Amino acid sequence: MDAGSQRVLDYLTEVEEAAEEVITTKQQIVDLDLKRNRNREALNALKHELSDSENVKVCFGNMFIEFDKSKTKGMVQKDQEQLDKEINNLRRELKTKFNHLNEIQGKPELRGYRLSALSSEEIKSINSLLKT
Amino acid sequence: MATTKVPEVRDITRIERIGAHSHIRGLGLDDALEPRQVSQGMVGQLASRRAAGIILEMIKDGHIAGRAVLIAGQPGTGKTAIAMGIAQSLGPDTPFTALAGSEIFSLEMSKTEALSQAFRKAIGVRIKEETEIIEGEVVEIQIDRPATGTGAKVGKLTLKTTEMETIYDLGNKMIESLSKEKVQAGDVITIDKATGKISKLGRSFTRARDYDAMGAQTQFVQCPEGELQKRKEVVHTVSLHEIDVINSRTQGFLALFSGDTGEIKSEVREQINAKVCEWREEGKAEIIPGVLFIDEVHMLDMECFSFLNRALESDLSPVLIMATNRGITRIRGTNYQSPHGIPIDLLDRLLIIATSPYTEKETRQILKIRCEEEDVELSEEAHTVLTRIGMETSLRYAIQLISTAGLVCRKRKGTEVQVEDIKRVYSLFLDEARSSQYMKEYQDSFLFNETQTAVMDTS
Repeated sequence: MDAGSQRVLDYLTEVEEAAEEVITTKQQIVDLDLKRNRNREALNALKHELSDSENVKVCFGNMFIEFDKSKTKGMVQKDQEQLDKEINNLRRELKTKFNHLNEIQGKPELRGYRLSALSSEEIKSINSLLKT
Repeated sequence: MATTKVPEVRDITRIERIGAHSHIRGLGLDDALEPRQVSQGMVGQLASRRAAGIILEMIKDGHIAGRAVLIAGQPGTGKTAIAMGIAQSLGPDTPFTALAGSEIFSLEMSKTEALSQAFRKAIGVRIKEETEIIEGEVVEIQIDRPATGTGAKVGKLTLKTTEMETIYDLGNKMIESLSKEKVQAGDVITIDKATGKISKLGRSFTRARDYDAMGAQTQFVQCPEGELQKRKEVVHTVSLHEIDVINSRTQGFLALFSGDTGEIKSEVREQINAKVCEWREEGKAEIIPGVLFIDEVHMLDMECFSFLNRALESDLSPVLIMATNRGITRIRGTNYQSPHGIPIDLLDRLLIIATSPYTEKETRQILKIRCEEEDVELSEEAHTVLTRIGMETSLRYAIQLISTAGLVCRKRKGTEVQVEDIKRVYSLFLDEARSSQYMKEYQDSFLFNETQTAVMDTS
């Protein structure tokens, strides 16, 4: 193979790798969101459908262990916070990865990509502008 | 990569005032900024187009915010066309405000207020809005009404995407807003996490067969992909003037729609400048210096010119493009003569682009483009005759004849405009030279004919 085609091949590999990374991160977010929703359902169930004194069975791997209800709740809540944090991190990573992908493909950067968002109060004050 | 992209959607505000230049789609430059003889509706004027192209690149890079450009040339040499070309090539994201010099004279508003509003309309602020939303297709809604009829309702909402499905417990408030939006199984909805606002995006394709009779406004959408709880980022571009208006307390935001904005206090402007600068430092906003185009700039008077001088020096200032067809003339509001009717001190700050009269070949091309724009078919001889008319009278007159000749041609059920049609409209409508000739011959029979020697004061 001559140098030219080798260079093209290298370049395409680079693009494909970057694209692959974007896709994996996206899938990771989806998986974590799925988990988050399951936890949320569990929390709701714990709140509404059981009396306080009852113990609950929690599934760890392929084993069910009976646990105190309040303790379980704390555990799930902690898990939930962890998930939220992780999803946030992944989203931030996704942005830089996507930017990198765009860059090596020679596409222009999206408008306002690096801006940080206005706070909700600031948005509210100019909301009437944005709706039109 | 092509640098001169034709914007697909033509912004209404960009073409509002000048229908005569609706055929202009850009400056007609290639990637190396070399002008093509005929391209994007532009013909000839190679040197001025190239100059405009260089300025355009500088605007795009944000290099010359707070500078001014003057396009000067005889009437009918494409000054406004070049300005329009710049506007079109800037794309929809850069603010472009066009006004004619005489537009600023109004009883409701002082001249400088009108000018500063125009200046602030030409500066864009880009901001980002970020919302957490839940987006999914409704699989099932289940609402339990309490047996007594009163009291809190409870319910469950099942949402799914292509990847997952989950159940939400509903409170009283959510149930109410769901029933208000008439959400049913099969709808694709989004719920704003912060406000709880529900909006219907449409019905899912998979449920398309549920009913045979559908309202015309029913829209079918795909089941959403990916996660249920998404983060949506929207980038908005607003102009400084719009922010001024909603913050001008006496008026309220309704003023934006009624059009009557009145005067805006300078304290409001200062506050907004400070806020926007603060946002910029925090990385929350980008400032896009746009373009303010003032046509017939010789109509401005001395006060306006000194205001322009000052306004150009402020740090939030757009690129100012002016056009004039005057030579050495009196500056309005004074007795001093100056080139282009613009004071020397302002003239000194300007980059001046000159346009020159069109040649016969170019006139022919422009007439051809206008024919296409106005949907008129022209025969070869008629085209030649029209070109001659354009050269001898004026290009504008010849362009006027296109649509009128087209009408005459349609009246006699012809498909192509012939020389006879042109002759007919030429005899029906006078051009400027023939009209003046007529005046000279018959002025004795007109009213008020004693002003024989007075020269019309146009300044």
